[in-house]
Amino acid sequence: MKRLFILTVLAVVPWRAAGAQDRAVIVGTIGDSLGQPLRGVVRVVGTGAMAAADSRGRYRLSVPTGRVIVRVGHIGFAYRVDTVTIAAGDSLERDYRLVSAPVELQPTIVTAAKHSQLLDESATSVAVMNDTDLARRAVLTVDEAVNRAPGVLFLNGQVNIRGSSGFVEGLGSRVLLLVDGVPANQGDRGGIDWDMVPLAEVERVEVVKGAGSSLYGSAAFGGVVNLITHDIPVGWHGRLRATGGAYANPPSEAWRFRDRTGGLGGLDVTGSYGTETLRGSLTLGGRHSDGYREQDRSDQWETAGRAEWLPRPGTRITGSGAWTSHQYEVFPTWCVPGTCSDTRGQAFQPFMIDTSGRGSYTRSNKGYLAATLDRTVSGAFAWRARGSWLRSHFTDYNPDNWSVSDRLGAELTGVLHAAGGDDRVVTVGVEGAHTDITSDIFGDSGRVSSHTQIDVGPYAEAEQRVGRVRLTAGLRLDDIVVDGARKATVLSPRIGAAIRSGVGTWRASAGRGFRAPTLAERYVTTRAFGFEVIPNPDLDPETAWSFELGNGAPIASWGRLEAALFWTEARRLLEPTFVLDGGVQKIQIRNISRARLRGLDASLAVSSLVPGLTSSIAYLLVDARDLTTDAVLSFRPRHVLTLGTDYQWRMLSVGAEFRYTSRIERIELEPVFGRDPRVAAKVLDLRAGWQRGPLSARLLVTNALNYIYNLVPRTLEPVRKSSVVLTWTY
Amino acid sequence: MRSRVACVAVVAAALTCNEGLQPNTCPGICGTVTFRGAPPDSTQAVYIVAYHTFPHSRDSLFTFQPPVGALQALPLDGASAFYALPVDAGRYEWVVAVWVKQGFSLANADSTLREAGYYRDPADPTQPGVVNVNAQQPVSIDFTIDFGQMPPPCRYYDPPCP
Repeated sequence: MKRLFILTVLAVVPWRAAGAQDRAVIVGTIGDSLGQPLRGVVRVVGTGAMAAADSRGRYRLSVPTGRVIVRVGHIGFAYRVDTVTIAAGDSLERDYRLVSAPVELQPTIVTAAKHSQLLDESATSVAVMNDTDLARRAVLTVDEAVNRAPGVLFLNGQVNIRGSSGFVEGLGSRVLLLVDGVPANQGDRGGIDWDMVPLAEVERVEVVKGAGSSLYGSAAFGGVVNLITHDIPVGWHGRLRATGGAYANPPSEAWRFRDRTGGLGGLDVTGSYGTETLRGSLTLGGRHSDGYREQDRSDQWETAGRAEWLPRPGTRITGSGAWTSHQYEVFPTWCVPGTCSDTRGQAFQPFMIDTSGRGSYTRSNKGYLAATLDRTVSGAFAWRARGSWLRSHFTDYNPDNWSVSDRLGAELTGVLHAAGGDDRVVTVGVEGAHTDITSDIFGDSGRVSSHTQIDVGPYAEAEQRVGRVRLTAGLRLDDIVVDGARKATVLSPRIGAAIRSGVGTWRASAGRGFRAPTLAERYVTTRAFGFEVIPNPDLDPETAWSFELGNGAPIASWGRLEAALFWTEARRLLEPTFVLDGGVQKIQIRNISRARLRGLDASLAVSSLVPGLTSSIAYLLVDARDLTTDAVLSFRPRHVLTLGTDYQWRMLSVGAEFRYTSRIERIELEPVFGRDPRVAAKVLDLRAGWQRGPLSARLLVTNALNYIYNLVPRTLEPVRKSSVVLTWTY
Repeated sequence: MRSRVACVAVVAAALTCNEGLQPNTCPGICGTVTFRGAPPDSTQAVYIVAYHTFPHSRDSLFTFQPPVGALQALPLDGASAFYALPVDAGRYEWVVAVWVKQGFSLANADSTLREAGYYRDPADPTQPGVVNVNAQQPVSIDFTIDFGQMPPPCRYYDPPCP
């Protein structure tokens, strides 16, 4: 009952608190169970108010008056949630002692429904990775962080949620990326630039599984990945992070391709300053990698910034942006006899490139600017307006191609909490985007040309609590216009329910997802694998009905089980296909496949059985069939199993994670690549950490066994990489 | 709890015991053959073999390496195929693709075997190329198989058949 009360208050209070007119102050200290000070973060749930403790654990937090929920956190410790009531002008002293527990059990607040809600209220599965998870994994990039989430698998940089995307040779993604709610898929190819946002900026990653088009429109075909960036604390804060490491050499002398060990390194600096009304942060960084294969070096420069203005209670204006310049050599495919200058007598050389790709190189610049106005009008109603500009510009050398795309987006959303509570919540909005590309590869027959696409999508979703049941129903209507001609109108409904019971919360949902063909898929004109690729401007959106039945349940006080059965019926999937054009075999993207993906997505997180020890198991079973050919769907491994464990003892932590991905049974373009070797993936990551005051050191060894494998044709997955991350926080 | 941790470790170790991609070392002579035309419907198999000495008579037709038991049929469903010949170190005068017709036997070899292509001398493509194999340095050679031109082996006998 007490837990229910806290959960209810958690959901209601942000709206009431934000509507208050004056402010008060909470001061105190944060420490561990032994009384040692922690540089934790204190924040008011549902508002931007937050403060970071100093090296002696002291903090000072300005809060709205009335009843507020305070959330206290620190890496490696369980969050504490505190409810306080405070009058205008008062100050209150609160000291918090945090207990070591790397796995966060509950409550977790997610934004899958375009407004804050508890994880147990979501009608669809959501996997959350918070800053504790990210720090513990010591990963360096956003895709590395997302890759180990339950139900998620990357195939050569392309994200799959429950087998959604497969591998589509870099064109299109069946997963939508959001950065603080702003769509960030490429305007031309529709893919995801995972280096768009520095990982240092990311506080939390939410992976919404299943079709999400009823709220998010195109590309949310198989799910949504939402990156939530850090709030800016009051006062001066800074962080310096240095990274260094090395790649393992090939395990066989016959595969050796260089005389030295490949290295990697990077440096990023973040500084922020905040007052009660104005806050800003800036991150600058750079990275270099020698790569783990022949012709695989890369250099990257990145910057990200954010500014917030809180002119009055209940109003927040945010400006944010990021820019990344990435120059990287391209490893097109590994070489096989007859295609490379040096086979050393091998049937294939996974570390070396085929001679036709020698000198391939890409310069990729990308970035975004976003402005958001959040206004809490009352305890019952709030609205948000945002505008964004997303740009991607790549230039390929050998073959020489280039493309510039600009995507202008806007969205207006209103959220009504009827009667000020969360028993009835209505979300209404409209989202629009204008994309234009200029390119010599997505043009007309290889000539430079431009194309535009306009997407407009009004949407509405209502949530109603009836006893223990929380019902959800939503609808979105998307209109897609390409080069001035209406191409498609797509209706995406969704219904769902979350039912609290004695055995956790049951979830059931049914929804429609769709993905409009990207401008690149419609107009691509190039050569691939020796074949001409020809455009197909008349492509239709691919669609899917997605069903889920799941349960999320705490297990005593030491664990949490999440399990879901999913079933997706997809139609008109876009796939590259061999066609005869004038008697010549060519490749064209067509709507051809009907597919069925069904399976089980389950995870178990265990904590507190032994002090400091946490473990997790996640398993994904995907039965994916191409119903057109009655064969296994390409690029969908049947089993993905992830085992992880971490142990923390005072300032030290150690951990390990193992992932097994079964052999991919079928690939596309079988006549070209079908005879290439493919094996199951078995990857073990090891990690260790040390933290004392403002300093921390993390050691990460990925693919510690140096297991050599590939997931997509003739593309070697990363070998063992050892890296050290040193962080100083002010 | 220790037993649980040990159990997880054992499972992980068991799953990793199978190795990943391995070097596929060329056992002597290897390379890629490129196909021209389609294999006849009567095809039984195509093999690559190597001769120390050019076979100028029917008696020497079966002196090739590797031994018959080690022959591997080429996959014919692509535009090209990788081949690997496990042969001893030495000098080879003829590396040849042999087309075998359905119904082949030693008795009817003259009519059911065909030369489908061979490695040619880079300096004089009208002549077979000589290949020298040593234990330290396998040889990678590529050539073309033309299903449209497959002379019988007796064409190379001394004297040749008409």
